[in-house]
Amino acid sequence: MPLDTSAYSLALLRVDGRRWNELRRLHAQIRTQAAADGSSYLEMGHTKVMCVVTGPNEGGPKRGGATTGGGGGGARESRDAEVAVSVVVAGFSSVDRKRSGRNDKRILELQSTISSALAASLHTHLFPHSTITISLHVLSQDGSLLAALINAATLACIDAGIPMTDYIAACTAGSTSTYAANDESADPLLDLNHQEEQELPSLTVATLGDSDRIAVLVCESRVQISRLEGMLAVGVDGCKQVREILDKVVRERGKRMIIEGALEKGTRVGMDLD
Amino acid sequence: MASLKRTAGADPFAQNISSKVYVRSTKSGKVQKIVREVYLRQDIPCSSNLCQACLKSAPRNAAGELTPFVLSDKPAGTKTFPQGHYLVPDTNAFLTAMDLFEQSSAFYDVVVLQIVLEEVRNRSLPLYNRLVGLTKSEDKRFYVFFNEFRLETYVPREEGETVNDRNDRAVRKAVKWYGEHLAKTSRAKTVPAVVMLSNDKDNLRKAKTEGLNACSLAEYVGQLKDGDKLLDMIPDAQDRDVTRDRKPGEHLYPEYQSLSKMMTGVKAGVLHQGIFNVSPYNYLEGSIRVPAFPKALLILGRENINRAIDGDVVVVEVLPKDHWKEPSSKVIEEDTITKNENPDTEDAGDLVSEKERKALQEEVRRTQNKASETLPQPTARVIGVIKRNWRQYVGHIDQSSVSSASQGRKQDTVFLIPMDKKIPKIRLRTRQVAELLGKRLLVAIDAWDRDSRHPVGHLVRSLGELETKAAETEALLLEWDVQYRPFPKTVLDCLPKEGHDWKVPASTEDPGWTDREDLRGLLICSIDPIGCQDIDDALHARPLPNGNFEVGVHIADVSHFVKPNNAMDNEASIRGTTVYLVDKRIDMLPMLLGTDLCSLKPYVERYAFSVIWEMSPSGDIVSSRFTKSVIKSREAFSYEEAQLRIDDVSQQDDLTQGIRTLLALSKKLRQKRMDAGALSLSSPEVKIQMESETSDPIDVKTKQLLDTNSLVEEFMLLANISVAGRIYQAFPQTAILRRHAAPPKTNFEELANQLKTKRNFDLNVESSRALADSLDACVDPKEPFFNTLVRIMATRCMMSAEYFCSGTQAEPEFRHYGLASEIYTHFTSPIRRYADLVAHRQLAAAIGYEAVDPSVRSRGRLEAVCKNINVRHRNAQMAGRASIAYYVGQALRDRPAAEEDAFVIKIFSNGFVVLVPRFGIEGLIRLRDLAEPEPAAEFDAENYVLSTSGSRTERVELFQKVVVKVSDQKDEITGKRGVKMELVRA
Repeated sequence: MPLDTSAYSLALLRVDGRRWNELRRLHAQIRTQAAADGSSYLEMGHTKVMCVVTGPNEGGPKRGGATTGGGGGGARESRDAEVAVSVVVAGFSSVDRKRSGRNDKRILELQSTISSALAASLHTHLFPHSTITISLHVLSQDGSLLAALINAATLACIDAGIPMTDYIAACTAGSTSTYAANDESADPLLDLNHQEEQELPSLTVATLGDSDRIAVLVCESRVQISRLEGMLAVGVDGCKQVREILDKVVRERGKRMIIEGALEKGTRVGMDLD
Repeated sequence: MASLKRTAGADPFAQNISSKVYVRSTKSGKVQKIVREVYLRQDIPCSSNLCQACLKSAPRNAAGELTPFVLSDKPAGTKTFPQGHYLVPDTNAFLTAMDLFEQSSAFYDVVVLQIVLEEVRNRSLPLYNRLVGLTKSEDKRFYVFFNEFRLETYVPREEGETVNDRNDRAVRKAVKWYGEHLAKTSRAKTVPAVVMLSNDKDNLRKAKTEGLNACSLAEYVGQLKDGDKLLDMIPDAQDRDVTRDRKPGEHLYPEYQSLSKMMTGVKAGVLHQGIFNVSPYNYLEGSIRVPAFPKALLILGRENINRAIDGDVVVVEVLPKDHWKEPSSKVIEEDTITKNENPDTEDAGDLVSEKERKALQEEVRRTQNKASETLPQPTARVIGVIKRNWRQYVGHIDQSSVSSASQGRKQDTVFLIPMDKKIPKIRLRTRQVAELLGKRLLVAIDAWDRDSRHPVGHLVRSLGELETKAAETEALLLEWDVQYRPFPKTVLDCLPKEGHDWKVPASTEDPGWTDREDLRGLLICSIDPIGCQDIDDALHARPLPNGNFEVGVHIADVSHFVKPNNAMDNEASIRGTTVYLVDKRIDMLPMLLGTDLCSLKPYVERYAFSVIWEMSPSGDIVSSRFTKSVIKSREAFSYEEAQLRIDDVSQQDDLTQGIRTLLALSKKLRQKRMDAGALSLSSPEVKIQMESETSDPIDVKTKQLLDTNSLVEEFMLLANISVAGRIYQAFPQTAILRRHAAPPKTNFEELANQLKTKRNFDLNVESSRALADSLDACVDPKEPFFNTLVRIMATRCMMSAEYFCSGTQAEPEFRHYGLASEIYTHFTSPIRRYADLVAHRQLAAAIGYEAVDPSVRSRGRLEAVCKNINVRHRNAQMAGRASIAYYVGQALRDRPAAEEDAFVIKIFSNGFVVLVPRFGIEGLIRLRDLAEPEPAAEFDAENYVLSTSGSRTERVELFQKVVVKVSDQKDEITGKRGVKMELVRA
């Protein structure tokens, strides 16, 4: 058994060797499935998720049907497109092989959180009576699952060409000592892995683009109110870093598409190609 | 489809990321493969004040503060390394010789590698905690270097390499890096040597071929100035290496089974796990309580005990039926039987010495002679140890084990006889026998190998001459793990700045007065033992217009001064309780608080936490409320003074009337409690009278109980019960409560049988009420002490009360059996008990006085607190008793042997135990003490009678009153002093 999170105070190093304000390695790709309208693959450390977007397709919200998502914009006004999110967690994604039930409440909550976050950024009013289906697959879990899902969904929506106001970039933030320790001098932490999430208080935050506008804020652990401000500040800062990385992925991909001639000649490219 | 594969080369960070893969198995036996990321970096500093490079990239925390560098720029030198040196010990160095590293004379500037810290943690959590303590201490200069996260020192495991080899390689690589790094970046001309410490020969050899500085612990200590003394603290590794080569047939003890095999067995119900306990009368007999059986299993003989030491968590296997036996009815003491063993010639010995064998033969004869009416009991043998509960032991060197020829600095092997009789002799190697003889010593056990009859240990330190007050007091504090060091500065910093000048603020506008009731006008007084300085509680009572009474219990408001989670609170939670010794008090809180600011001293204003009831004249509670308050005690009475004042009819002032009211009400409360089935138990309590100047003990008196004692007790019980109900209501999951489980019936079987056969009394243990009634019935009109004697023996059959967190037990389990109360807690002594302090915080939160602190809401944390204070509470009691026993011995020492009345409380086939009420001590009288030669004896186990014939004719039976001569005697051979009892007449 390696050291746990209580060793942080010895040398200001976290269990995986990061400092308090460092993200894990974030790797992302878009257009991984050529057949889909939009697709992406994203790794935050050892958390690996895949996303496929279909739509917008015609056919409004199915009344009484088994919609997997939480309705998002669709529930509010039937004229807007519905964002239907489904999250599938692979049985092999965590250390113990688990079969999750069909109506796992945690999964349902993840779906509805992602759905309402995206509905706020996507221009759903442009696609009345239609559905945008977002399928997320979790291949491997190592903490910050919700953040990784949101980031992957954002990338896939961009790939699908659905108009949206800005990126929704997400990450987690925590604190270096437990709630019970009530340590005044606890440092905030950025981007928690599974072990840290188990032992320390944490929250997930997502912001809209470069702004400080928060799209998602989920905190499921108990934490002293005095630490919250620091955690939030670090989290928002992390979201901006994540946005930069996502943006770079999209631009690189765009560049390659032009070079490979995926776009018709003469299509205007609003990008600086060098 | 686009490929998801990515090549390692394409990733710019690839070389900085590695992963750690390991396999672990869970409690349920599942095997899990864990993969963790590892981020390698180059900004982990070497933390040497000599280094010029690392400071630039040193890490900062979120507040931008830099961690100061640890290692000195002028480290100490040794003979081999005159230029100064930094130490880099490997895991084994810490595991075997943590005591060495804690020395204040040497071992400064130590680099603790991450890999070493991890391994220490895996092997032993207590050692890990001690090591972390060292790294936090400022003067020791221990630095944790995270070698696994630094790019240059990270070592990937090679194909076919064992984990241990890989870790050794990582240590060597770190040592090498440190050397090279310092040579490059050092400001000074002479660079300190970086020395690897290891006891692993292979590792040392490899280090030397790589050109590193490396020594074994013994080599290194040899270079130090006072090396000789420190050498004793190193467990002898070479010694053990040699013995390991022995042929398998020569092992003295059976081998332990593998952990997984034992776990499977325990799960299947074939094997049993439990805590091993040694009988206080027979060191070769142990017992173990396992969940599967209602009664404890017996473990008899050295081989079956198989190297388990009292307190270890072991796994046992039940022996076949023909091995079942009765518990021995004989007293067997280790030092008398194995007196002449030679510590040096271990290998020649069989497991069972000749004398032990003889004792066993007698045992067999006895069992077989007996009518088979009493059934033999199941026995078991130890097949493995799950967890050693070794601590440091106090003892002295067995004089007879020292060879007279020992001269000079040669290493000798001697036996150490621990103070605790349940611990076997410990084999000790030392170079300073002459100095250590006749001293109290602190030792640690290192190992107990299959081929060594006794465990092997090493010296930690000497406490001083035997029988000096200082050494004996320290010895018993260590033996009971009482934290007695002075409070560190961080704790004292938490005290109020004003010191003794602190006063309740005069202005009621002051924040200290917020939500406090002004009760200064009430006629409050305190009643405590004579000379009590830490006054926890005070009382008042006054009549109300409606004919009822208002009764208040006011408790020192310690939680006002001790805020949760500061250094003082942490220290108090570790200490858990104040320990009272005969001549000394080891405080839980610093003196300033305990005896002054919190103490409810008379004539001054103090903060208090008050419980106020309205009571009807018949003692029923009409209403109750809780409030923080300010009080002014009118008088601090001793029990005697208060009694005199009550009895003095001429005193008619309001204060005295108040006490009289309290007394009247307390009698009603007591009656109610008794009717509900509360037990009145007893333990022999004595008081040592000291000469006022020299504080030498001069006499022993039994404690007297006055009405006023029970007055205070009743109201404290009532306050505790009221508070318990309130905090449980507010915090159903996390209230800190105290319970006393009903004792299992089997506990009373023997006593009930004894009372039935000897005196024809029935002991009914159906409920506490029934037990209380049947105890009341056990009266011998001729012998007033008989009832007390039965109560003392009944008390020993009880379970001990314990603190717990309300969420961990079902509500019916909350019951306090002894007090016959449905719910109970400790609230009334926050100065001397930590549980009370927690209860104060919870009550303050429950009445909305202050916000709930997370530490009193977190169940995990409270459970840990309860576990600790339960242990501390018991240890404090034991230490207190041991202290009394020591002083009783001292008081007896200089007086002529006196004849005293005594009662027989236990009978063996070769002796009996008597209790002397006057001194509150027990003593063993063996047959061979009766007369020379040892008289023949007949033991009637059914009727508890031992009759001797031959050289002396006596008949001794259980509960009999006898006359004994009590004297103090020193055993010349073992150097042990003890109370000796001689039978004068039965």
